[in-house]
Amino acid sequence: MIELQGITKVYQTGSQTLEALRGVSLKIGRGEFISIMGPSGSGKSTLMNIIGCLDTPTAGEYVLDGDRVAGLSFDQLAAVRNRKIGFVFQNFNLLPYATTWENIELPMLFDGKNAHKRKKRISELLNAVGLYDWRDHRPSELSGGQQQRVALARALANDPPILLADEPTGNLDSRSGEEIMAILTELWKAGRTIVMVTHNDHIASYSQRVIRLLDGMVQD
Amino acid sequence: MNLTLPRFFWSEYRKRRKKASLITFALFWGTLSILLLMAFGQGMTIQFKVAFSGLGETLIMVYGGQTSLPFEGLPKGRPISLYPEDVDYLKERIPEILRIAPESYNYLQVSANGKEINRTVHGTTAEFALMRTQVPRLGGRFLNADDVAKGRKVAFIGWKVAGDLFGSGDPVGSQIIINRIPFTVIGVLQKKIQDSMYQGPDADQIYLPFYAYRQIDNRRRINQIHIQPREAAQSKLIEARVRTLLGRKNRFDPDDRYALSFWNTIEDAKEGMAIFKGIEIFLGIIGALTLLIGAVGVTNLMYALAKERTKEIGIKLAIGARRRVIVQQFFLETLFVFAKGTFWGFIVAFNIVHLIRLAPINYDSFGIEAYLLRPEFSLQIFAAYMAILGVLVFLSGIFPALRASRSNPIESLRYE
Repeated sequence: MIELQGITKVYQTGSQTLEALRGVSLKIGRGEFISIMGPSGSGKSTLMNIIGCLDTPTAGEYVLDGDRVAGLSFDQLAAVRNRKIGFVFQNFNLLPYATTWENIELPMLFDGKNAHKRKKRISELLNAVGLYDWRDHRPSELSGGQQQRVALARALANDPPILLADEPTGNLDSRSGEEIMAILTELWKAGRTIVMVTHNDHIASYSQRVIRLLDGMVQD
Repeated sequence: MNLTLPRFFWSEYRKRRKKASLITFALFWGTLSILLLMAFGQGMTIQFKVAFSGLGETLIMVYGGQTSLPFEGLPKGRPISLYPEDVDYLKERIPEILRIAPESYNYLQVSANGKEINRTVHGTTAEFALMRTQVPRLGGRFLNADDVAKGRKVAFIGWKVAGDLFGSGDPVGSQIIINRIPFTVIGVLQKKIQDSMYQGPDADQIYLPFYAYRQIDNRRRINQIHIQPREAAQSKLIEARVRTLLGRKNRFDPDDRYALSFWNTIEDAKEGMAIFKGIEIFLGIIGALTLLIGAVGVTNLMYALAKERTKEIGIKLAIGARRRVIVQQFFLETLFVFAKGTFWGFIVAFNIVHLIRLAPINYDSFGIEAYLLRPEFSLQIFAAYMAILGVLVFLSGIFPALRASRSNPIESLRYE
């Protein structure tokens, strides 16, 4: 499902060159639950962003579901992010002025789903993450764990086959973290492919397989 | 067309309204102040022109004088006077003359309604009205050719004379006595602003048919002749012809500057026009500078707001918004803020201008309010202002949005 071949990412800041990824190759099959681990600056997040089509590699080939990502236009990539991939960030990235309901609704709006379908799906998701009573609240009125559950519901809005989570529990207390992990596990069991970045061994233990990164390279 | 996205844009706009309110206010204030500045400038220029034409438009006045050069054996220092027959003499010989009228006047006692006043009384012909902006108030008229030919005992009076003799009543049809001869008032001058005059403002004058006037003032010579050329450009030529013709008749040197004197309002008007043009250019520059300052402020605010939203754009891109959606939303929001600010600026400026125009002008004193209280609203200036400001605002609002929508979502997401 996800195939990376020799992925390199170079950041150029002024005269400094930073090689975040050096020839990363890996395959992730449908329905797998993968953890990507490694110390700070090892390139975990960069790899995650490339898998999530939020960033483009400097070199190498990325094939997602049989499509070469490098050949896709800006708007085609947007469509991939919209339908195939759900992204959960460490810092939630919710729209601050929008309510819980509206934040979850947004990906469906971008997909052009009609009002009836949206309403049904949002109610479903809000019940699943236990936030139906919080639907009219803004992110600032929610706890970190609640915000991450909103973000998770938003990531699932268009029912994407892949869920990417970049340190989803990094900003949460352990109880909220466990709640999020419980939901992720359930989603995996329901057949979703999950890729998660973490530096917490306990969190990583929820996954089937761990990929370790060091200095931008996969360690065997 | 999917109607849900615009609705979403609207709900986002409403949530952000507070942040945009500073921009809306800046647009409102800028629009209001520029429109008012330009309206007062325009109004002032127009009122200057109106006041200038209060005496008359394209008018040459000829006066007698005294020779300053000896001519054909005659000594210098001879007085030169004008006579009624000079009017026809000139008209027949100078085809460039459109209208011509004699005028005699004297300071006389006038009584009516039991009141007695002293005023300048004039004798002239019907053509005088057209040259000297003598517009009658409703229900009255100026002297006509018949009045003049038959020497009718009628009078056309200024509005101040009417007030002095008859109070607020309508004097038309009433009689006034001048030198024990009764004259019937046939018209009252409509109020006007007049910034140049010879025997005082027209508001204080009394006009009689030329031959009726001769019965109370039997001097043969007349005070002046009014000439209106067919075309303003011919005024200097007409002056020269008048000198030559009257020089031949009265035997003075046509080059003698003092034998006749002229008051050429056409030449004065040229100077006046230069001043008006100067005022217009000056106001234009002030307007442009004000616009520039305002535009810098507004574009700065727009730019800051757009930058602030970079992260939000990153979030939207990350969850699958297409570029068009991002740019469209920015465009609509900018359009809305722009329209709102300028709309209220326009409405308030328009109403202020029209409220001020309701204020009365005191035509009896020659005050500054005659120039200040008649601002003129110009749609062309408003259109030009909207075009310039619109372009600036849209560029400053759209560019950061375009840039954010073109970069990788992750770069926008990192923006704090």
